[in-house]
Amino acid sequence: MIDREQVAVSDKKRSGRTAREASYVACALIAIAVFAYTFTDPFVVTLAGYTCAFALFALSINIILGGVGEVPLGQCLFFGVGAYGAAIGMGKLGLPFEVSVLIALVLSVVLAAIIGVITLRLTGAYFSIVSWGLTGVAMVAATNLEEITGGPLGLFGFPPIEIGPLQLSDPQTYFAVTATILLLAILFLVALRRSPFGAAMDSVRQNPHLARSVGVDVARVRLKAFMLSAPFAALAGALAVPYTQIVTPEVFSVANTVDGLLMVLLGGAQLVVGPVIGAAIFTLIPQAMNLDPNIRILVFSSIIILIMMFAPGGLHQLGVALRDRLGRKTDDDRSR
Amino acid sequence: MALELLAQTLVNGLVLGAGYAVIAVGLTLIFGIVGIANFAHGAFFAMGGYACYLLTSQGLNYLAAVPLSVLIVVIIGALTEWIVIRRSLYGDSHHGSLIVTFALGQAAVAGLILIFGPDPLPVPSPLGQSTMRFLGIFVTSQRAFIFVCSVLVLGALGLWLRLSIKGQQVVAVAQNARGALYSGIDVPWIRALAFVLGVAAAGLAGALLAPITTIYPTMGYSALIVGFTVVILGGMGSIPGAMLGALLIGVANALFETYVSVSWTPALGWALVIATLLFRPQGLLGQLQQHRH
Repeated sequence: MIDREQVAVSDKKRSGRTAREASYVACALIAIAVFAYTFTDPFVVTLAGYTCAFALFALSINIILGGVGEVPLGQCLFFGVGAYGAAIGMGKLGLPFEVSVLIALVLSVVLAAIIGVITLRLTGAYFSIVSWGLTGVAMVAATNLEEITGGPLGLFGFPPIEIGPLQLSDPQTYFAVTATILLLAILFLVALRRSPFGAAMDSVRQNPHLARSVGVDVARVRLKAFMLSAPFAALAGALAVPYTQIVTPEVFSVANTVDGLLMVLLGGAQLVVGPVIGAAIFTLIPQAMNLDPNIRILVFSSIIILIMMFAPGGLHQLGVALRDRLGRKTDDDRSR
Repeated sequence: MALELLAQTLVNGLVLGAGYAVIAVGLTLIFGIVGIANFAHGAFFAMGGYACYLLTSQGLNYLAAVPLSVLIVVIIGALTEWIVIRRSLYGDSHHGSLIVTFALGQAAVAGLILIFGPDPLPVPSPLGQSTMRFLGIFVTSQRAFIFVCSVLVLGALGLWLRLSIKGQQVVAVAQNARGALYSGIDVPWIRALAFVLGVAAAGLAGALLAPITTIYPTMGYSALIVGFTVVILGGMGSIPGAMLGALLIGVANALFETYVSVSWTPALGWALVIATLLFRPQGLLGQLQQHRH
């Protein structure tokens, strides 16, 4: 009897949850449409599109940081593979944008498998350092292999970028496409986090020894997470190309990873949409206040230091703590 | 002729390695004692260079500016340790200290750009253009000065660790922090001391290398990356390992530059690191890691 009641309750909860989520998705879609067709300033709309692309990169970083608990200082390697893949495919091989991006995504997964087998045996600082170092190797390679990458000047002057009938050179279309892809990525990651694999990642992050003792193949989970994160970063890199219009060896610069990492840490690594919130804060506030990029880095790095000292889970943790405290207070009042 | 080129290359490599050794010993000291990988190390390296620039631009002689620059870096390092590092060491999160030091480095680089601008600045040295010739091998006086300073400082550090009571306490904390605590050593104080010594070494390297490389805000990145390659190659936390690794990478870089390719040299260190991690993960002179966060 009780069991049946509980099942009914949990069913209700679940259907309530799906309904709520469906309404979130609907709201997001409406917001995308409204934004794309009310804002007419091409600069603002293009920047919003680029922010969505970069938020995708932040999500990729968070698969590693929030998922298996490593700091992926080399994630811009895959971002660069995506950007160069799109640029080389279009500019040198004359392939359509979609095909070039698909090839780049496959390449990024293969690369992640190879790199992961070597670097994921390392943990903590070792992993971060070596993955950072590999981006340095990639930058050297991109600078030196001039026939393929255009050398230090990079690749530019692409034909108009389009996905099927969608012209990405049009700001509104660009924003709508990147925002929709971002939304799909978020839905995928929400589902991933609820799947058994999401639980396995959690266990690996929280206590790898315990995870191994209950039968989780820790090395395999870490490698899978790494291979999963790579195409997100590559897609972000490819989608950034319509905005930047040029791909230079600088895409492998640690500055890119830093931006993504700051977004993740600002929004909170344990929230699936945290990186997206972080991306919005990181891009919109400095834009609105017309901040110098260096002041932006200075301010946000300082905020990160403060967050790590006082609220290691990200800004939303402060919100949760505050809510708990207020909630507890009202409960206490009621019990009195 | 071929022999002379080889000898010249080896000497260049040794001089380069001596500079790397100072950076790497600071990094490995902090890793061994404080237990963190200091991603802000490059920023302290850059601060050493900028302090030297500020002092020499006020008309101070370069030779007097070097120790004063180190002093400035020591003060900044002590403040950093006191305000940030000691508070972020013992959090729940394993990667807390990594992110904090990395963000510190970012903030410092952004600060340097805002104060001094992004362009390279020259640091004049009285040793500037002169060269010395010894058995047909040329060394610029500045490089010879770097070499002598590095050897003296590293030698002094080694003697201090071996012979003084404080030095022995530092070694004890590196070997077994809990045991050191139980025998009455003030572990937090030793950790602070190691951090400040480590960043002081970075600052010294920055001040020494400034006249050769000129100074620019992101100069710390390459120093940090070289430092990490050296430290991983030698074994993290091992001071003799850091020295050996620095000389190996210095000589390997010089040989590679002379005989193979200049433009691919930056990738060489990482190839060595990956080979090390695959075949001897604890590094050349490192000890196998116990479980440690």
